[in-house]
Amino acid sequence: MTVTTDPAAPTSALSEKVETAATRTDGELLQLVSFKVGSEEFAIPILAVQEINRMMQITKVPKSPAFIEGVINLRGRIVPVMDLRKRFRLPAQESTNDSRIIVVEVGRRVIGFTVDRVNEVLRIDAGIVEPPPSMVCSAESDYVQGVGKLEDRLLILLSLERLFGDQELEQIDEVSREAA
Amino acid sequence: MSLDGINPELRQDFLTESSELLEQLDSDLVALETAAEGEQADRLNSVFRALHTIKGAASFLGIDPLIRFAHAAEDALNLLRRDRTHFTAEVMDALLQSVDVLRGQLDAMGQGEWPPEGPGALIETLKTIANGQPLAARLSKLQPADGAPGPDCDDAGLTAEDGDAVVPVAVPGDGAQAEPEVEDEAQAPSNGVTESYAPSEPLELPPQKLDLIEFMVADLHEQISGIHQALTEVAGHATRHEAGAALAETAADLHKTLSFFELDGLAALAEAVRNAGEKLPDIECEQVAGLVIRIEAVSWLIERQAEALSERRRLDWPLRTLQQRIETIAAGEQLDGAVAGVADVPMVLRVDGVLGEVASLPAEASQPSQAAQSAEAVEPEDGPYSPSDAVAGVIGGAGGGDAASTASPGAAGGGGPAAGTGNGGGAGGGGVEATIRVEVARLESLLNLVGQMVLAKNQLMAIGRRVAEQPVPQDLTETLAAANSDLDRLTGELQVNVMRARMQPLSKLFDRYPRVIRDLARSTEKKIRLDIEGKQTEVDKSVLELLADPLIHILRNSADHGIEGPAERRDAGKAEAGHIRLVAEHQGSHVRIAIEDDGRGINREVIAAKAVEKGLASADVVSQMSDEDVYRFIFAPGFSTAAQVSDLSGRGVGMDVVNSNVAKMNGQINIASRQGKGTTIEILIPLTVAIMPAMMVRIGAHMYAIPLQSIVEIVRPEDTIRGKVQGKPVMRLRDSVLPLVNMRAVLDEEGEGEGRFAVVVGVGGQRAGLAVDRLIGQQEVVIKPLDDADTQGGPFSGATIREDGDVSLILDIVQLIRTTQTESSASGTGPAAAA
Repeated sequence: MTVTTDPAAPTSALSEKVETAATRTDGELLQLVSFKVGSEEFAIPILAVQEINRMMQITKVPKSPAFIEGVINLRGRIVPVMDLRKRFRLPAQESTNDSRIIVVEVGRRVIGFTVDRVNEVLRIDAGIVEPPPSMVCSAESDYVQGVGKLEDRLLILLSLERLFGDQELEQIDEVSREAA
Repeated sequence: MSLDGINPELRQDFLTESSELLEQLDSDLVALETAAEGEQADRLNSVFRALHTIKGAASFLGIDPLIRFAHAAEDALNLLRRDRTHFTAEVMDALLQSVDVLRGQLDAMGQGEWPPEGPGALIETLKTIANGQPLAARLSKLQPADGAPGPDCDDAGLTAEDGDAVVPVAVPGDGAQAEPEVEDEAQAPSNGVTESYAPSEPLELPPQKLDLIEFMVADLHEQISGIHQALTEVAGHATRHEAGAALAETAADLHKTLSFFELDGLAALAEAVRNAGEKLPDIECEQVAGLVIRIEAVSWLIERQAEALSERRRLDWPLRTLQQRIETIAAGEQLDGAVAGVADVPMVLRVDGVLGEVASLPAEASQPSQAAQSAEAVEPEDGPYSPSDAVAGVIGGAGGGDAASTASPGAAGGGGPAAGTGNGGGAGGGGVEATIRVEVARLESLLNLVGQMVLAKNQLMAIGRRVAEQPVPQDLTETLAAANSDLDRLTGELQVNVMRARMQPLSKLFDRYPRVIRDLARSTEKKIRLDIEGKQTEVDKSVLELLADPLIHILRNSADHGIEGPAERRDAGKAEAGHIRLVAEHQGSHVRIAIEDDGRGINREVIAAKAVEKGLASADVVSQMSDEDVYRFIFAPGFSTAAQVSDLSGRGVGMDVVNSNVAKMNGQINIASRQGKGTTIEILIPLTVAIMPAMMVRIGAHMYAIPLQSIVEIVRPEDTIRGKVQGKPVMRLRDSVLPLVNMRAVLDEEGEGEGRFAVVVGVGGQRAGLAVDRLIGQQEVVIKPLDDADTQGGPFSGATIREDGDVSLILDIVQLIRTTQTESSASGTGPAAAA
């Protein structure tokens, strides 16, 4: 089992070493950003991440879905921000010094979401990612793409497409939740 | 053959320009059909000119199929110009089809393919027309509404175009022939049609020379631009010597080319210019302007002749005075004061007697002293010359039309009075371009930058205000305030100008519709009159694009479903010809576009039944709906009540585009209809899309922006009397009672009761009060789209970034007013009982 964990800002020498180690493994290498929401640790592909910001003023947008916290000014662009705690139906919590807004690009959509803290950038072998246990496979958690087993912890890989991308699916999501 | 040999840039220019010309052709042709006799000549000229320009450009690029086909169409048109009795609906059909063929050829080129040959049958038809033979009547019962013009209408300027006709107006003095139709020219700024400027005669040259005409004309144009280049250099004094040499050299080339064509008068002029060029360094500064303007006049004349050459015609101007005056200046002598001071080309042409005057101008010599100095050079015309002379302005309009006719199709043919009276036209008389083409992307990025600049300026202003409150030296705050206010003003002007650069007249769309309606009327055997008003109304480019599809669908719908057949209309006691009115106008911060027809109206029952059948709503719900809400079903996707699907409408696609596009522009649609009387569909769209002034207000804990243009007035708390009517909050404003919107409730903001201030807003005659907590102040806001699916749905037309960098939402007034109305109809029963 190959798990390489980079510090957030790897020196070039180190990253080279990691590269060589990576090429020697059989499977595909996933580059991820991991972050914490509630007690769980989640991860998304680093390539989808546009930037990670400290908390900033979020303007609420009345009449928008509850999990939309509002919009922010991202250097002149208006970007919606989703509250992942609300999306994951976790109890609300005041933002802290560790809170971050991760801005991702999914298809043609640019959207931000709030997380409790950003942990690290890491590379894992795709082989260690397992599909989500079927029990968790409900309409509510279909944005879980897989679970990565690290040495000491579990990493929930999120599917950004399912979380933010296909808006129609999302609406269906919403409707079913409302019905429930 | 392939397009590979053609410079892609040239090809692109050709395609853009030709497509625009085709649009113009299309609309002119349709207008021609119904035009009054007096206007037909102008329309014909405009049509001919456009076609001719396309052909000319095509031959420059060597695109043979296009040239051949355009040539056939041109021949047909040429006959019509001479003899308008041949106008029939069938001929018009053929001509309109020709436009389509040309468009197809251009489209092919746009895709990088060699254009196909024009269809043989159509070419045959065109030839038949050109030979003056009648076409077999296909649908002979459908004549143009105004009837074919009589055979004896030779009153509208066509005489001057016919080579055989002699212009009978003589001018005293140097035997110049008069410009007989000066007024008419003003109606149609001329580009290719040269005959009206001067009497012309067929060009007689040996065949081997005729074959070379195209090349030589190209040479001429090149040399003229050389002259322009040299003249620009003359303006900068430093290079007078070299500029003079360059001028002389180019003029020598011109002389050769003109001699080749045996155009002796112009050749002699070129020779005079060459001579003047050599003498240029010796000429006194005061005289240079007079010389330059005359050389520009010469180049203008040569350009006209070059255009006429393509039609194998020679123009005959009296050029002697002009030539003499150029020689006078070159010889270092002074021109008489008034003559020397002439500042633009049209005036030169008049003063120097090239474009003769109408005899009625009295030679009363009101300024005799000025005429004394160089008596032999001054013609009798000079005396009564005055700078404010209307005719000079008219000719100026004609000359300036060069640039206008290629740049904006609307201006050339239909611009009539505007082009004629515009004294700015004189500036373009020398052939200098008045417009340039700019890539849309550049405008977009410019606008984007200006938007960001406005934001930065706002932040700077905010800092300035904060600094003023700090204990800093006063002169510092004053300097900052002054700099800030300059910046404010400049950004404002910059912004307005950039916005204006993006504005385009609705005529770009509207000019296509006569053709659409005409074809539709012919294929459905109806009679339809389309009136268009306000097509000069300007809207932002993006708005224009989004309007294109909705309007065409509504119009088709009106023509196809709304307007009845002639027989049915007769039975209903209506005029046989149906009437569709397309109106555009500004209305506050909105542009209102209305399509009114006097057809059969929308049948509520039919729509309601169909809506229920399609499962769009239950029968109960539908029966409760207002008429307008029922009508709105016609915009539902896939909704069609047409029993028969025609090739025009009835498939149910199309009308839903109306809804979605208008929504994209934050617009609104209203429908009014009366059974048997007609239908009016009204579209309200915001005028601008990017930057606007707004009033910032506080509602609950947040700040929102209200577009200033929608605000009628703001009422202080102590001045408002509020109450409830039928359970719904209202406010009294002097003599009227307006619905009052509790904005805190609408926006789910916290806080008890209603806001203290009432902002009275109005859109299209409907008004409402918005209760807000505090007024912050006025601010320029840059509208940012709020287009993410998850942030839509609220009454917002967008978002903006405030001075402090945070985001505020912009209230959508149209939507808010609309909700007060639906609420009032819905709440009419419930809360009223409770109250």
